[in-house]
Amino acid sequence: MNDSSSTLDSADAPEVASNEPIISIDNLSFSYDLGSTNTLRDISLEIPAGKVTAFIGPSGCGKSTLLRCLNRMNDLVDTAKVTGGSISILGQDINAPDVEAIELRKHVGMVFQKYNPFPKSIYENVAYGLRVQGIKNKSVLDQAVEESLQKSALWDEVKDRLDSSALGLSGGQQQRLCIARAIAVKPQIVLMDEPCSALDPIATARIEELIAELQEDFTIVIVTHNMQQATRVSNRTAFFYLGELIEYDDTSKIFGNPTRKQTEDYVSGRFG
Amino acid sequence: MAKHFQRKGRRFLGVNLQGWIRGFFGGNAALSIVILFLICAFLVKEAAMFFPQHHRGLELYRKTGQEYVGHLIKEVDEYTILVSATNQAYYQELDAGYGAQRGVVDSSGGIMDALEDEGDDLIGELEDALDDFEDEPDDPEIAAAYKKAQENWKAFARETIAGLDRKEVDSFGRLEGHDGQWEALKEAMVDWDPVEGDPTPFVAKAKAEMAAGMSEFDAARIELGSAGNTLKDLKNKLVAEASQIKKEAVEDMSAAARKAAILEGSKKLATEEERIAAVAEAEKIVIRESFPFAEKTAAFGESFEAHESAANELKEKLVAAVAKLPSDFKSQAAAELIVGVKERTPDFIEKLDESVEEASQWKWDAPLGFWGSTMKFFFGRDWVTNSSWHDFYGLLPLITGSLLISLIALAVAIPFSIGAAIYVNRLASRYEQTFIKPAIEMIQAIPSVVLGFFGIMVLGEGLRELSQIGALSWVPGFPMQERLNIINAGLLLALMAVPTIFTLCEDALNNVPRSYSEASLALGASKLQTVTKVVVPTAISGILAAVLLGLGRIIGETMVVLLVAGNKIAIPDFGEGLGVIAQPAHTMTGIIAQEMGEVSAGTLHFRALFLVGLVLFTISLMINVAAQRIIKRLGHA
Repeated sequence: MNDSSSTLDSADAPEVASNEPIISIDNLSFSYDLGSTNTLRDISLEIPAGKVTAFIGPSGCGKSTLLRCLNRMNDLVDTAKVTGGSISILGQDINAPDVEAIELRKHVGMVFQKYNPFPKSIYENVAYGLRVQGIKNKSVLDQAVEESLQKSALWDEVKDRLDSSALGLSGGQQQRLCIARAIAVKPQIVLMDEPCSALDPIATARIEELIAELQEDFTIVIVTHNMQQATRVSNRTAFFYLGELIEYDDTSKIFGNPTRKQTEDYVSGRFG
Repeated sequence: MAKHFQRKGRRFLGVNLQGWIRGFFGGNAALSIVILFLICAFLVKEAAMFFPQHHRGLELYRKTGQEYVGHLIKEVDEYTILVSATNQAYYQELDAGYGAQRGVVDSSGGIMDALEDEGDDLIGELEDALDDFEDEPDDPEIAAAYKKAQENWKAFARETIAGLDRKEVDSFGRLEGHDGQWEALKEAMVDWDPVEGDPTPFVAKAKAEMAAGMSEFDAARIELGSAGNTLKDLKNKLVAEASQIKKEAVEDMSAAARKAAILEGSKKLATEEERIAAVAEAEKIVIRESFPFAEKTAAFGESFEAHESAANELKEKLVAAVAKLPSDFKSQAAAELIVGVKERTPDFIEKLDESVEEASQWKWDAPLGFWGSTMKFFFGRDWVTNSSWHDFYGLLPLITGSLLISLIALAVAIPFSIGAAIYVNRLASRYEQTFIKPAIEMIQAIPSVVLGFFGIMVLGEGLRELSQIGALSWVPGFPMQERLNIINAGLLLALMAVPTIFTLCEDALNNVPRSYSEASLALGASKLQTVTKVVVPTAISGILAAVLLGLGRIIGETMVVLLVAGNKIAIPDFGEGLGVIAQPAHTMTGIIAQEMGEVSAGTLHFRALFLVGLVLFTISLMINVAAQRIIKRLGHA
């Protein structure tokens, strides 16, 4: 569903036809040490809009690295370098010289492994992304904060204490606040880097429900260690091993009837 | 049965090695605490004894009538400031209006000196020839000889004058730009008659021009300068009387002690005769029950009227003289000075009236509250020591100097050090980090005396030269009169505080979790936005604590301020607004370092310095406690 009247739709966002991939990765190679060794090798995959795509694989397989390539968070590492191939988001090569990482990140939000709200009030946390974009209008901010908190299923719990510190919330609430913070700037894509790994099972279940609901408005890419989680929340799954993409298909296919032997070994718990 | 689980290792006095090591470290800690306690106790004891001693001193000041006379001294001092400002204006104006004439007069003196020095013999010959000629004016030989002597002198004078160094003769450069006058003066001086010594007509003309042009101003300033003569005379008379009374009173009060000392000393003398003489001398010392202050100071009570009439006379004459001061000036500086004098005159008169009124309230036996004498220390505006009149111990000038210098240092150091910390921690590349951080921390290794040296020779000189540039005269305090002043000391202390604040700030920034900045960047914030909106607010407690600890470092610093602050014990004149920073000042640390070596233990001066030390210690302690509190309270937010 794509409700164009929703305030969560970015006004200046390029339109995407429903069947076209929103992210296409073409033969991407990536290195953390200026090309001496490639952490990612020749990865090609296309991520459809409005779906949940899961990246799975054993530790060190490069799934988080790939995720961080999608909003260029790897720029923070001085020696990181794309050594081959390209990533296009909404039809634009994001590593092109005239692309500003800051602008890209306004369209590609991110939720981190360990919940990390700022030591500010709940309200200020959600409004942060809009404030750095220069929005000062109180009513616009109020509306965006309420909408984001409602979408992240946190509104009812915090609406009476928006001015209290975000660090007073429980772990699950803090992670949902981080999701609210990420979607407040109305990105088209939300990247989630193992969003439940620091949470207990109940909080995890709530986040998973949330992901299912958010799928209506956002394209979601989620990295997870938890294979049950991948089956529960995702439509498509990509399996990585040692920096290479082994298999990418519908989630039911990957877990039910994988083509490759390595995939089968991994999803059935023989290694990893 | 086999033995198990026994203690192992050698034991000494029932304690094993670990016990001894434990005892050693524990003992060290205990020792440092004991030493700290002893220092505090010593400081407090010496400082506390200041107050009764100070109180007695002030009591004596009142009883001897010095307090009364002090009013007159202040009145005359204030009046003298007006007089000297007027005189300064007069000379400025003289230079501006009659610089060339003044140059001619001054330089003619220089030329005369040179001629007299070098032409000593010729002058002698000339005098002899003149004497002979006067005795026998009709002898043609003698007349010829006299003429010859005159010609010789002229030739010598012409040669000498031609060889003169113009800069040496016209040492103030008053004839610069008046080359014609200089040439004319040289020509005129050839005709100067060294025997009579009168100025040549050319110089006399310049003098007359000067006198004619400035006559009005000159008359007014002389009138102004003599307006206070009656008051000055009265003051001098009373000062002498009060000093005498004080001397007698002090001798009287120490009589018993002196007698005891002589008797004690006599026991150690070698011969019986000496001993008898010493005892006889001791017997001569009269010990009185109490010193007759009332009787001695009776004259002061009678001088109230004389004081009032002298003050009235001063007021009348001063107003008249000020009215006669000119209002058109060629010199801007003179105009400003005279405007200042005119503006200050009503204030002066008002203060004079108050002072006369206050002085007439003086009674030798009016009780002096202990609280009052204590406040005289904390809020006293004078710190005067080793004075033949009376020593004043007022903290205000010192604490003002210390705070002013520290505030300037902080104001300069905060932006630099916090900016550097943010840059190094968040924005700099790894390569930049590797040299910026050690470089800043290296500043700490510079001994403060070396910094002080740098402050005198480089910074002070540089600042003063910079302040002379006309285009910069809008900067407050420019042009600077002094090389050693508040801003110079403040800048150097800032340099000393930068490493402290920088290092602690950088630590505080380092403690901000990486995940905060990642979250901010992932939301599309720039690096700068991330720093200002997330990193700095999160680290603010650490940054505040860093600033406070920097302040603690600054306020306790001694060597730099001693060398560079100018060491003038006076409250800076805040009337100049921000220009106050160009004035010299003294500090609490500086005064202790400067004077402690010269005082003898147990004197009032000695204890006053201890008390200043205690105040300093208290301030430092409060700053440190505040820093700790902030870290604790905000650190866990």
